[in-house]
Amino acid sequence: MPPRVQQLIDALTATPPLEGYLVVGALMFAIGGWGVLIRRNAVVVFMCVELMINAVNLTLVAFADYLPNAGGLGVSYAVLVIAIAAAEIAVGLAIVLAVFRTRRTVNVDEITSMRG
Amino acid sequence: MQTVGQQLIITAIPTLPALVFLVLVLTGRLLKENAQYVAILGVTISLVFSVFALLFVAGIVPGGGEPIEFSVNWIDLGLGGSFPMGVYIDGLAAVMLVVVCFVSLMIQLYSGAFMEGDKRFAWYYAILNLFTASMLGLVLAPNFIELYVFWELVGLCSYLLVGHWYEKPSARDAAIKAFVVTRIGDAALFVGIIIFWATTGSVAFADVSVAAQSGFIGGSLLTTTVILVFIGAVGKSAQFPLHVWLPDAMEGPTPVSALIHAATMVAAGVYLVARTYDIFVQSPTAMLVVAYIGGFTALMAATMALVKKDIKRVIAYSTVSQLGYMMLGLGLGSYTAGFFHLYNHAFFKALLFLCAGSIIYAMDSYNLFDMGGLRRRMPITFATMLIAGLSLSGVFPFAGFWSKDAIIAAAYEEHYYLLFGMALLTVFLTAFYIFRAIFLAFTGEPRTEPAREAEESPGIMTGPMMLLAFFAVVSGWVGIPEGFGLPVRDYFSEFVHPSEFAITTFGIEAHAFSYALGGISFIAALLGIGLAYTLYVARPELAGTLGSRFSWLYTFLDKGWYFDALYGATFVRFAMWLGRATRRFDRNVIGGLVSGVGRGTLGTGGLLQRLQSGGVQNYALFILLSVLIIGVIVGAQYAVLVVGLIALITITAFAVGTRL
Amino acid sequence: MIVAFFFLTGMTLVSALGVVVSRNVVHSALFMSGSFLGIAGFYVMLNAPALAAFQVLIYVGAVTVLMLFGIMFTQRPQARRYRTIINRQFWAGLCVAAGVGGFLAYVLSAEDWGGLQAGNGPRQVAALGRDLLGVSSGSEIFVLLFEVASVLLLVAIVGAIVISRRKVGEGIDSRVEE
Repeated sequence: MPPRVQQLIDALTATPPLEGYLVVGALMFAIGGWGVLIRRNAVVVFMCVELMINAVNLTLVAFADYLPNAGGLGVSYAVLVIAIAAAEIAVGLAIVLAVFRTRRTVNVDEITSMRG
Repeated sequence: MQTVGQQLIITAIPTLPALVFLVLVLTGRLLKENAQYVAILGVTISLVFSVFALLFVAGIVPGGGEPIEFSVNWIDLGLGGSFPMGVYIDGLAAVMLVVVCFVSLMIQLYSGAFMEGDKRFAWYYAILNLFTASMLGLVLAPNFIELYVFWELVGLCSYLLVGHWYEKPSARDAAIKAFVVTRIGDAALFVGIIIFWATTGSVAFADVSVAAQSGFIGGSLLTTTVILVFIGAVGKSAQFPLHVWLPDAMEGPTPVSALIHAATMVAAGVYLVARTYDIFVQSPTAMLVVAYIGGFTALMAATMALVKKDIKRVIAYSTVSQLGYMMLGLGLGSYTAGFFHLYNHAFFKALLFLCAGSIIYAMDSYNLFDMGGLRRRMPITFATMLIAGLSLSGVFPFAGFWSKDAIIAAAYEEHYYLLFGMALLTVFLTAFYIFRAIFLAFTGEPRTEPAREAEESPGIMTGPMMLLAFFAVVSGWVGIPEGFGLPVRDYFSEFVHPSEFAITTFGIEAHAFSYALGGISFIAALLGIGLAYTLYVARPELAGTLGSRFSWLYTFLDKGWYFDALYGATFVRFAMWLGRATRRFDRNVIGGLVSGVGRGTLGTGGLLQRLQSGGVQNYALFILLSVLIIGVIVGAQYAVLVVGLIALITITAFAVGTRL
Repeated sequence: MIVAFFFLTGMTLVSALGVVVSRNVVHSALFMSGSFLGIAGFYVMLNAPALAAFQVLIYVGAVTVLMLFGIMFTQRPQARRYRTIINRQFWAGLCVAAGVGGFLAYVLSAEDWGGLQAGNGPRQVAALGRDLLGVSSGSEIFVLLFEVASVLLLVAIVGAIVISRRKVGEGIDSRVEE
């Protein structure tokens, strides 16, 4: 193999640095947060919350892989997070449905009876 | 005072009327007209005890002969000194006690009929008794503080009684005027007391006098303080320039005027000067001030009384004038003469007021020019008023002659010729105005319908009047001087006399009775009576022409030498302006502050309320923003990051602000 | 690996953006599942294939379906304009979110992690099982947490049923008899 191609292949097959995963997680968290703040539909807000949870999960697993004394426990932690997130979605969507039944709307900014 | 029993008796003298006050205040509504019996009982017992005290001090009761003194510690400030409450009765106080109790009893008997049917009958008697108790307490006081306490109480009772008929605006105003004007005197008195206390460490009269002798108070400071105390007396005794309240105080019921503004409260000022005589004599300047103010007031008030139409006003100015006499006597060093005049004056002045009250009871009018010819219809009133008038004018052998003559003689013999002249002129004027009133009221023909219908007053009113008339004649006979040639001693001078210290310090000499001076004053009085007779009985039209010829003088005297107008334009206007300014300040600044706090809170709340929009996403926005801010603060070591984030936060704030 | 990394990054982030800005709700749901798939790929790159499997099963499988059910029950016509789907906090939210994201990214990448090497993740399922349910030192707690999570899921199921129960005479069921 020519050395420059070898270099290219080496470069392309190197493992990404830890910071890479972390930045991706941070950006995904930010996008999810933005969505929570601006979307009116409650279900879409939920989806954005899921995005945020997954971003955090990604960061957690990245640390689990890279830090030597984590002992791989981060992955177990991530499993539990998934479980809890699932529970949260279930209950949350039930609430959205209940609200929709009485108020006929899923727009979050139309539910302001706690105003003042 | 050895035994507890005797101490109890003395203490009961002021306490009994105070108890009557409490009882009547609490049960007055139930008692109604019966309140008078409770009151009269209380005062009668006080009178008996006072007579006992008098006899004790005079030495007639075994074990006595010396002044009564005892006291208990009231406020003990340890090193700061202590203020005892006690009793000190010497000749001066003993006589005063009897006078106050007796006159009060007469008034309370009289009021039973005069105030019949009044809405606040029991309250009237209650305050009357409170007044009696306070006056008695004042007389008994051995030190300045106790005196001041009762001084103030007496002023309060005067306010309450003058304003008894408070439905009348004039009565309300008069009560306030009385209180405020005497307040000026009270304030000066209090300053004087404090100076005495600060310089000598004690407030007892004896202690202060001794300390002043020993030089604890320097000459000019002593004079100033004594004059301050005298200003207190000026206020209470309605001397110039604080005399303006007494004529207005006639808005109160007539028995009140008789008790308070003739015999007792206004005498408190004179009594104060007499009580603190040992301190006064140490300052010759102060004595001069006392004498001249007394003399001037006597003359001034007599001129004002010449033209009054209201019979009570005439008598009120007469009171001011006679008090001036007493002050004159004290200022000259004639302690005994001054107090003797006070003692006599109590009887005949109270009697004059009661006669006026009797006329008012019969006729319902104060105006002299509504009356006329009453001597046929109200003979007892006529006779008693005549006796009182003669006594007031100083006609021999009535009581007033002896005391007035003593003062005039003292003025002449101490070489104060100006004061002598003023006093003599005042005798003439006094006789004139009082007989003007008597002739206008009792002689001639009735001028109005009520005068034609007038009837003599009931017995309970004429009884006290007759008793007082008796005293108006004989009260002076205990003080007939030696040189008159009668086989009686001058009991009064022996009983009430200045202390040895005062006699030696001021150089008081006893004067033998001088026929010449006595004759001069007697002739002056007769001249005054004669002039009044001429103008009002023999040739009444002359009075009218005189009045119109000298109308400017008439108005000047009628308006009280324009004192009221002067005070009104200066002090009263200033005080009202101050009051209005204070009210404005209170309402706008302080009220504004207080309500401003409320408004501020409401405003802030309103602003904060907008944060509670009810929208979850708003809340989420704020949460994230706060997290960001906290993160920036914590991670401040990343300087570039900080700068960038601050810029971001600023932009966000604007965005939030415009979109919220 | 870097290639895969970049590819997965692009997929994940673009899908996330799609969730947020899509006008059709169903499109949002599908973008979301695409994002989850990207995350699953990341898990594989991070030596946790078991977790990747869990991710796909639970998230892409169950959660997406759940979301679609939710959309179905709360149907709304498709929005024509962005105004209908975006509330008034657009720019404020953008600033705050960008701030948070930038802050986190900068802090995390500026921190010195000290030359780490990948490879500590549980490559085999057995390793994951031992960590999760085993008794090796440091991982005893996860058994308890696992059980608690189970109870939590039970409670969530019951809660969801209770909350979304149909009550007589309410809302659109106002004409339903018991």
